[in-house]
Amino acid sequence: MLKINSLSKSFDRGKTFALKDVSFELEKANVCAIVGESGSGKTTLVRLISGLERPDHGSIELDGKTISSLRKIIPPEKRKIGLVFQEYALFPHLTILENILYGVSKQKNKKERAKEVLELVGLTSLEKRYPHQLSGGQQQRVALARALAPNPSLLILDEPFSNLDAMLRMQLRNQVFEIIKKTGVTALFVTHDTQDALSVADEILILQEGEVIQKDGAANLYTKPNSVYVASLFGNTIQLTNTLQEAFQCPLNIDCCHAIRNENFNINTECEYISHATVIKKTFLGETVQLLLKLDNGEQLSVVTKEKNVAERIRIGFDSKDVLEF
Amino acid sequence: MKQVGSRGIFSIGSRLQRLKRDSNRWSIFTLAIILFIALPIISIAIKLCDGPGETWGHVVDHLLLDYIGNSLFLVFFCGILVLLLGVSSAWFVARYEFPFRKQMEWLLILPLAIPSYIVAYTYAGIFDYGGTLDLILRVLDLEFIRVDIMNKTGLAFILGISLFPYVYLSARAFFINQANNLLEASTMLGVGEVKTFFKLMLPLARPAIIAGLILVLMEVLNDYGAAKYYGVNTFTTGIFRSWFSLEEPDTAVYLSALLIVIVFALILFEKWQRRNVEVSSSKSNNHRIHRKRGSKGMQVSILCFVLIPVALGFFIPVLQLIYWTFLTAGKVFDMDFIMLSVQSFGIAIISALITVFFAVLLIYFAKWSMLSFFKNIAKMGILGYAIPGAVIAIGVMIPTLAFDKWLIHFLDDWFNIHTGLLINGTLVALVYAYSVRFLAVAYNPIESTSLKVHSTIPDSSKVLGVGNLKTFFKIEFPLIKAGIFSALILVFIDVLKELPLTLILKPFHINTMAVKAYQYASDEMVMEAAIPSLFIIFTAAIPVIFLNKLLIRK
Repeated sequence: MLKINSLSKSFDRGKTFALKDVSFELEKANVCAIVGESGSGKTTLVRLISGLERPDHGSIELDGKTISSLRKIIPPEKRKIGLVFQEYALFPHLTILENILYGVSKQKNKKERAKEVLELVGLTSLEKRYPHQLSGGQQQRVALARALAPNPSLLILDEPFSNLDAMLRMQLRNQVFEIIKKTGVTALFVTHDTQDALSVADEILILQEGEVIQKDGAANLYTKPNSVYVASLFGNTIQLTNTLQEAFQCPLNIDCCHAIRNENFNINTECEYISHATVIKKTFLGETVQLLLKLDNGEQLSVVTKEKNVAERIRIGFDSKDVLEF
Repeated sequence: MKQVGSRGIFSIGSRLQRLKRDSNRWSIFTLAIILFIALPIISIAIKLCDGPGETWGHVVDHLLLDYIGNSLFLVFFCGILVLLLGVSSAWFVARYEFPFRKQMEWLLILPLAIPSYIVAYTYAGIFDYGGTLDLILRVLDLEFIRVDIMNKTGLAFILGISLFPYVYLSARAFFINQANNLLEASTMLGVGEVKTFFKLMLPLARPAIIAGLILVLMEVLNDYGAAKYYGVNTFTTGIFRSWFSLEEPDTAVYLSALLIVIVFALILFEKWQRRNVEVSSSKSNNHRIHRKRGSKGMQVSILCFVLIPVALGFFIPVLQLIYWTFLTAGKVFDMDFIMLSVQSFGIAIISALITVFFAVLLIYFAKWSMLSFFKNIAKMGILGYAIPGAVIAIGVMIPTLAFDKWLIHFLDDWFNIHTGLLINGTLVALVYAYSVRFLAVAYNPIESTSLKVHSTIPDSSKVLGVGNLKTFFKIEFPLIKAGIFSALILVFIDVLKELPLTLILKPFHINTMAVKAYQYASDEMVMEAAIPSLFIIFTAAIPVIFLNKLLIRK
């Protein structure tokens, strides 16, 4: 189990914080995704947990042992954490086999372990090659194998798929997390891609400007985001301003902030709240069409729909169950 | 609550707590190396407190103005000459296509292979009565024109033609790698070549050019052999005089301290003039410069133009030396000379190994220290290169003499052993001084190759459970071998060429090529100096050519 308690790090003596008062827990054998835009402190968090950087405040516990506090720091080489870097960081002068066995200590049966791990990632035939002779996806799996070989207590993957193109990315994402689930290792997985996070993580932690703003299961995060920011991370969201509420004649609680996902707008179907609108502009996006609408009270609204042939005058609406409230 | 928390994080108490947590043995080792390297300078600073020697008043009244005046004169006129030669040749080589351009690229660096004192000897020989110029003119049946070169004007000329490659290199690197986009923009706006050069390229290249110029000026202040031979009083000859002739170490220390102040002022000026460089050399992806091909006549005139500095700085001195070699080969080349070359190469190899060792330690210890400000502290260790060799020699003299005196007493008192000086006047002190002076020469190539190894590579080794030292030997060393190798060669050459520091610190019975050449020249046997000089030049020339490739790629 990983336990992080009020972790802070500043690179400019406290003027700005890369990470501010971050606390969370991660149960054994769970996969947690850390999601945030670039500059949100994801990589700093990873480097603090792995011991490559030192925190200014707070503590980290792994399996009941304090590995980082204000008094004591366990160096990275003694933490038993596996780390897969964004750029893989394979040792260029060592073969795949040597790379994988690098972190395996002597007393264990090295050869057997290597075989096991190579089979796990499906690269048995490539063990004598050098990293530069491998494709990006293969390098990625070698990096994973190398991190798993010493049986780490925690596996961290830092933006593991960002160097791959979209097709390979999906394929590899499923492979990698199948492997992780098979080994039953606790895993932290850093990404800026919410699709990645939603598809494989048990829990998702949202970081914004160095602070945790929400941590929850994937389904909950999508249906019950706690802020407009979190809602917009997982898809196009439109904030229901007062004028929009007037147009749809939906009386909502004025003390709260409301929003609705783009996909929950319905065109020309029966809904609880309805408004008539004129289509000002259609932009063809391939699978979908973006419509710029002028509602009858003069308010403009942009929605995306799969309906290709919409008339100039349409009826648009949504249901109260789809309204997000913060 | 968070506000209070974040303020507490940077209170003095928790800062100290973190300092204690994050300082490790590597931090202590880094500090130890820095102190070891800085010891000569610290010694000079401490020695200053003893007050000036008896002759200091005399020096101030009669000599100091001369030293300052001559040094300023040299800095000014040599500076102008290196700018003219260096910048113009860099621009022509970078911007224009002409016959033998590739060869000119590295020939223009070759003057660096000849120590300036050797250039000084050859030109003195050329312009002497009965010298080479005299001979040639007599063969052609012409009147001998007497040119007196052995004065401060001549010295400025000598230093200029032997040191301009520093400016050439830094200006050329700028023109080739960073100028193309703006150059094309200027051409598209219909601005002519001449105006483009003076209005655009020169101002933009200024920081790079001045950086090269500062290196030249440091070498000018460092020079002893040429100034001594031409009879010009400079700070460095002054330090020698007060140390050896007047036997007045305190005066030498005061002069050294003054010289250090001047050098640091130069460094600060260089840093200051570079403050906006980041803005001007924007990170845009510049293509390498596109070369222009002029008319045949223009191509030939450019070739002739860039041949002037090459001839002055390399071919003429080398031809003169070869001529002298024919005259003296039988006399100089004997068993003693073979011994001399073995000694000289041996000292250079040992010094190169030790210096590179210190450079590697300094770079990696500072990395392994978890205190981020240690990286800046480590950088201070390379300032030795800016400090003139004579000053470092004085700075090494002081603590080694003191330590030896203490050791002699200690051994006598406790073990009843009677010894002489154990460090001072031995190879240990000499090699120590070399490593202080040339640490930067080793540090820079190693650091730049180590920066090419992405930090995640050693990081992943550490996360996989392997400690710093083992990570270094298994992962980093194989990846930075090339940098270590070029560092070894560069230090080796610099040690081989070094004169003033060696003259002061060398053990009595040991000689180097540089010292031998100097001794021949000062004993009115300048022709005999040719063989050791050529030896130095050819050893130094090979890597200079090899270095050219590295420098262009950068």
